[in-house]
Amino acid sequence: MRPFLAVVFALCMALPLMAQHVGARLDGRVPPDVRRAVEDIAADAAAHGLPTEPLVQKAIEGGAKRVPAERLIAAVRALAARLAGAAEAVHGGGLVTPKADVVEGGADGLSAGLTAGHVSELVRASHAPYDPALVLRVAATLAALGVPPKQTVQLVEGMIKDGKSSSDLLGLPGEVQADVADGATPAQAAEHVAHGGGTPPGRPPDWVPPGQTKRKGHGKP
Amino acid sequence: MSLGYHPLVKQLLDGEVSLAQLPPELRAEGAEALRLIGAVDRSPVVLSAALDDRVMAVVRRHAASRPRRAWHWLTAPRDVELRLRLRPAVWAGALAVAAAVALLLLGRAPGSAPVPASVVRSGARDSVFVRFVLYAPGARQVAVAGTFNQWDLSAAPLARAGTSGVWTTTLALPVGQHQYAFIVDGERWVADPAAPAIDDGFGRRNSMVAVTTRGARTL
Repeated sequence: MRPFLAVVFALCMALPLMAQHVGARLDGRVPPDVRRAVEDIAADAAAHGLPTEPLVQKAIEGGAKRVPAERLIAAVRALAARLAGAAEAVHGGGLVTPKADVVEGGADGLSAGLTAGHVSELVRASHAPYDPALVLRVAATLAALGVPPKQTVQLVEGMIKDGKSSSDLLGLPGEVQADVADGATPAQAAEHVAHGGGTPPGRPPDWVPPGQTKRKGHGKP
Repeated sequence: MSLGYHPLVKQLLDGEVSLAQLPPELRAEGAEALRLIGAVDRSPVVLSAALDDRVMAVVRRHAASRPRRAWHWLTAPRDVELRLRLRPAVWAGALAVAAAVALLLLGRAPGSAPVPASVVRSGARDSVFVRFVLYAPGARQVAVAGTFNQWDLSAAPLARAGTSGVWTTTLALPVGQHQYAFIVDGERWVADPAAPAIDDGFGRRNSMVAVTTRGARTL
């Protein structure tokens, strides 16, 4: 009973302090009504063990962009919901006590169109030395670029299986983007990158983008 | 009030010349000046004996206390002259020893491994210099804001590169993914046309950049 009371007491003490901290961060950066609403959302998120920093950042971003209050609050609330969904998915992937950035990466993935199942699968695939937060963020970016979710997961998992470095993983969206800029669809670009790069889809084997020298092949050695 | 005496009359008052030595036309003025000076009461002033005590009492009351004087003694700057008398062989040897110790310490410092030129150490995390470029020929001012600077509109202004309409700035960003956008003329948010963009949750688009220890890439 005593440990339970101690936890309750600690929460009662910590939550107002956290709300105060959130409020101080938002002071002067968002209107007072937005500040109060975000404080409440953040306090609720913290009570559920969710990270509050992404909520503060989103509110600050909305304030800087002079987004109308209602829309800003709705966006922060939607982000809180995604964080909750991501936390659940990350737990499902086997991470019992994930770091805040892992949950944030999962929320980015959900926002980009990945499902909770995809997030769980990517967390399971992110064994050491791969950082699940980085893996989730890369997958989220690929999905945001238009790569179909299932193909996104396969591409990232393939990179991990091939033992590519974290830096290679982080550069993966750039590779896809380069092919998209060359005229490929995101799915074609992902397929191309997954098979080691080379000539972009739909181009002759010796094709070189205008104004460029021939690029070195990337992907699988 | 001051009287404008002739310089020779002033010499007379100073005792440098006598009345007889003055030119005849100045003698009347000299005599008048002597008469006025002579009328001044030159009897010695006698001060009350208690005045000294009263003055000193006030001075002591305003004098700094002992601790205050001690603090002032400790903190007041002083000129210190340090003279060293060494043989050249001695100070050259001392310099060599100091240089050797410094090199030894630098060699043992953690994280002193060579790093690429574009990578700078920033606390526990690496940072990479990233160049942001926007073509905005009609703009009066351009800035870049993002997750790396708390979306601060004034934190990272771009500079105009000549008259070509190109605006540019270079920032040290920590390794990782970052979202950003350009702000043109302080109010118009513009996604980077050279980088992919994602929905920002407010109905606009944020550009993305990935920073690795090998450099930065737009995602």
